[in-house]
Amino acid sequence: MSQQSEPIVDIQGLNKWYGALHVLNDVDLTVASGACVVVCGPSGSGKSTLIRCVNGLGSYQKGTLRLAGTTLGVNARETAAARRQTGMVFQSFNLFPHLTVLSNCTLALQRVAGRSRAEAEHIAMSHLEKVRIPEKAKSYPGQLSGGQQQRVAIARALCLNPRLMLFDEPTSALDPEMIKEVLDVMVALARDGMTMICVTHEMGFAREVADQVVFMDGGCILDRAPARDFFGGSGHPRSRHFLNTVLKH
Amino acid sequence: MGFDLAFALSSVPTILGAIGMTLSVALVSCIGAAAIGFLFDVVRRVGGFVGLTISFVIDFIRSTPLLAWLYFLYFVLPFYGIRLGSLTVGVMGLSLYYSGYLAEVFKAGIDAIPKGQSEAARALSLSRRDAVIYVIAPQMLRNIAAPLGNYFVSILKATPYLAVLAVPEMLGRAFDIASETYRYTEPLVVAGLIFLALALVISHGVKRLERRLLAVGAR
Ligand SMILES: Nc1ncnc2c1ncn2[C@@H]1O[C@H](COP(=O)(O)OP(=O)(O)OP(=O)(O)O)[C@@H](O)[C@H]1O
Ligand SMILES: [Mg+2]
Repeated sequence: MSQQSEPIVDIQGLNKWYGALHVLNDVDLTVASGACVVVCGPSGSGKSTLIRCVNGLGSYQKGTLRLAGTTLGVNARETAAARRQTGMVFQSFNLFPHLTVLSNCTLALQRVAGRSRAEAEHIAMSHLEKVRIPEKAKSYPGQLSGGQQQRVAIARALCLNPRLMLFDEPTSALDPEMIKEVLDVMVALARDGMTMICVTHEMGFAREVADQVVFMDGGCILDRAPARDFFGGSGHPRSRHFLNTVLKH
Repeated sequence: MGFDLAFALSSVPTILGAIGMTLSVALVSCIGAAAIGFLFDVVRRVGGFVGLTISFVIDFIRSTPLLAWLYFLYFVLPFYGIRLGSLTVGVMGLSLYYSGYLAEVFKAGIDAIPKGQSEAARALSLSRRDAVIYVIAPQMLRNIAAPLGNYFVSILKATPYLAVLAVPEMLGRAFDIASETYRYTEPLVVAGLIFLALALVISHGVKRLERRLLAVGAR
């Protein structure tokens, strides 16, 4: 990991309110290039809100957020360019149901990256192979299992060649037997050197590939530690309590 | 007096001759109603005072009889110097009246698209325009295809109202024959059967379309 290069994500004093509800409270977070950060915490703690700010899907009222060297929201063109460096995977997959798996992947390649159809399909197929589902290229999302859909969603996000991947509870909507196939893809991605922020409660995944685990509660980051220490039992009592409840499942 | 089959058959060509008028009035009115209804729904989504006004207009249109609209456009507008042909008034009346219903069809069709769809489009950096064209509109069309087809049948069945404006559609023709010959049963039965056949064919088409669309989006 190169220490001298600028972090991909650099968040300083981020604050967000929904009316009177303080959803993000002075959040600081830096993510170095190639790092994998796992964000966990109880429901409603602001995890989704935080990572949605990172790629500009969500707004915030106070603080600064630098993404790939660009402060978001200053210059529209630069913000758009920085956002294009991110890929996002949602809990509910959000594949486009009226498009085939292949077209789901080629849409942004053609419309955003300006690739020809042949180029786009070539790139898309290479990513579908990476997530081990090339044989479903001509299927529609509705014909796939949840695990297969989520792997397609990962391939779709990878097509634009992002420098940062954001995952918002990618396995929470899956039946237990499908969780592993998605986590395997994510592990491989992390090992490949992809920078990732993953909101997940899959502590096995965190233990395996996370460089840093961040624990959120009530809009604050209460605890952050290298994965080894986080699971070693040091840290904030609240995160230890949380860890105990999660690991009991 | 019984049912004279020979007379009934002899009235078929005259009545069937107006099928083109009936179908094209229904088609143009349906397109007009869809266009106005879509606009209504889009403007209603702006919210605020404008949105409230549109909501009121939609409710108003839906709670006044079609015949009142036709008479209003035909007899009242000329007082203000707007003189329109009966066919124009008929199509306008049908379009306006059904636009109130189609606005609701569009609303349901758009609201049924999960929020995650436009979020995914935004996460992929698609422009707003591309998101509408490639992600939202196709799903909306799929959602509205069946109700739109059903409203087309409704509009088709409402075209005889235009008889009050002397638009030569099928039921009007049947009535012309009836008043010339003083025989009502046969021409009206013939016109009724043709409407029935049309409605059945179109409904069947809509059902098939719906099944195909559902198959593609099976989830
Ligand atoms: N659009 C919104 N309007 C108002 N409040 C919101 C909105 N979205 C989220 N919230 C609130 O903000 C808080 C943080 O929500 P967020 O979705 O970030 O939590 P989370 O940590 O992702 O939880 P979960 O594990 O349930 O996904 C919650 O209290 C939620 O109710
Ligand atoms: Mg969440």
